[in-house]
Amino acid sequence: MNLAQQLINGLVLGSGYALIAIGWTVLLGAARLVNFAHGQLYMLGAFVAWAIMQKLGLSYYLAVPLAVLMLGLLGVLLQVMMLPLVMQQNLTSLMIVTLGFGYVFTGGASKIFGGDPQAFVSPLTAASIRFGDVWFTWADVVTLVGTLILFAVLWLVLNRTRTGAIVRSVAEDPKLAQLFGINAALVYIGVFVFECAAVALGAGLVAPRSPILTSMGFDEVILTFVIVVLGGIGSVGGSLLAGFGLGMFTALFGALVSPAHTTAAAFFVLLAVLVLRPGGLAAK
Amino acid sequence: MIKRHSTSFALVLAGLAYFVPTVAGGAPAAYTACTTIAILAVMSYGADLILSYLGEVSLGHTVFWAAGGYAAALLSVNYGWNGWATAGGAIVVAIVFACLLGLATLRTREFVFSLVTYAAAVVAMEIAFNWSYLGGSDGIVGVPPLDLPFFGWNLGGGTNDELWLIAWLLLMITLLFIHRFRRSRLGISALMVHMNPDLATALGVDARRVRLAVFVTSAPISALAGWLYAYQRAYVGTDMFESYFLVLMLTAIVIVGRRMILGPLVGTALIIVQQNFFSIGGDGDKIVLGAVLAAILLLWPKGLVGVWDLLTSRRAQTPRQSA
Repeated sequence: MNLAQQLINGLVLGSGYALIAIGWTVLLGAARLVNFAHGQLYMLGAFVAWAIMQKLGLSYYLAVPLAVLMLGLLGVLLQVMMLPLVMQQNLTSLMIVTLGFGYVFTGGASKIFGGDPQAFVSPLTAASIRFGDVWFTWADVVTLVGTLILFAVLWLVLNRTRTGAIVRSVAEDPKLAQLFGINAALVYIGVFVFECAAVALGAGLVAPRSPILTSMGFDEVILTFVIVVLGGIGSVGGSLLAGFGLGMFTALFGALVSPAHTTAAAFFVLLAVLVLRPGGLAAK
Repeated sequence: MIKRHSTSFALVLAGLAYFVPTVAGGAPAAYTACTTIAILAVMSYGADLILSYLGEVSLGHTVFWAAGGYAAALLSVNYGWNGWATAGGAIVVAIVFACLLGLATLRTREFVFSLVTYAAAVVAMEIAFNWSYLGGSDGIVGVPPLDLPFFGWNLGGGTNDELWLIAWLLLMITLLFIHRFRRSRLGISALMVHMNPDLATALGVDARRVRLAVFVTSAPISALAGWLYAYQRAYVGTDMFESYFLVLMLTAIVIVGRRMILGPLVGTALIIVQQNFFSIGGDGDKIVLGAVLAAILLLWPKGLVGVWDLLTSRRAQTPRQSA
């Protein structure tokens, strides 16, 4: 085994995981809302970008921002529908509603885009870099750097700006925040839009690694579960660390033990941690 | 008097239910639909115990459903066990899995509970997909017709009209069980833990024990549905873990209204009738099922019963479910 290569793979995988998970982490932290349609939103992000490239003939560099924009708009629509339940903090119903949305997206996407696997080609994936026996692509570099920048900006916004303070106050106590004149509904919409846009960006950078399918939905992003919970619910820094940790685990487990059982192994780790520390690793 | 009347009314209704496929024309399609509705309704009742009485969303009940199916297939194909023995096997496997998962999730609530039960379903599917003993990606084919010897008779069979008797019996036993559960100490404690955990604790109810007990009670119900499903299809595979079944159980529960004894049955019937007789294609049916699930909870969180209450404006007079 080439250890250096596996470590690079781990870093690249980890940054991808963290990028796909970030919207979810923020949503969970600020709105206590679990979006079980997260995987389907990832699928939609990839397919919308692919369709823009195929049908409109636009370049990858335009298609991905457009997909991010469209998913953001979809986020507004979804959150406006869910708003009454969100304001009541009816979390049980919300979880089930998002499962329903996810199922609609799966059915709708295969009606629109067809059931065949498609090649979502990024020019960045084709350009590779080689140092001795270590190999990676420009897409990997962009994903890694982009993830680090996004996390840094997000951390600064949440912890060092007035907007961040508003979001955190709504997360802490929505009723009290409203008493202070904060429009909690607007915060919830903003956070949800961020989730949808962030997962579309994640899809734009990560999905070109393999053929895309309308049925991929949750299975593609299932590992982000582990990150969100392990990183500590709603913790931005925690989810970045958990993302890289999981990337390393996946790369090394796949190389040393068995690639087929990597997901199952990652979930066993999750189950074990939850039995010992129900609040996740970051819990005090 | 009233109680005796309602019991005999329920018995008559249960008896009449057996003749539904005959009344519906007696065609093979009617038997197929009715058997499928009965099986999937029983599956939903397993998840119903958790959602309606504990107020948690279990996304792991596909594990018990699939465990029942795999137990039936494995034990009948590889070891030649008859239907009674495979049903026993399905129950035992489901209880063991439920104990493990229940203990792992003992301290989790709300979305963490849902995430972990979902994670368990993913792990179980990966294991079934990769383990050749469980048939791997091909699943287990050639499940024999259901063999249920009963004093010289065979209650089972291979076709849907032969399996209808068992599906109907299983459904009736499940309904009776849910009815008893609602009045049992455990059922009342569960509702109390759900509605007012502090009060429950103050009254000496151990919330964790109640949650674990309800979870373990619910598993064999879904497993027995999976058991019969294996015989109905003569095949089990990893498709039993698919989100179709998960979305179906949740929709069946919420469509009529939570904590309604006939709710999951009516809900399942509505969904399967739509899919079997008014299908608009596989993808279209997915859109319908998902949209119904989301729309019900967004518009009428109490389910269709809530709409009924709204229409008749009798809500104020309806006696509230005692917690």
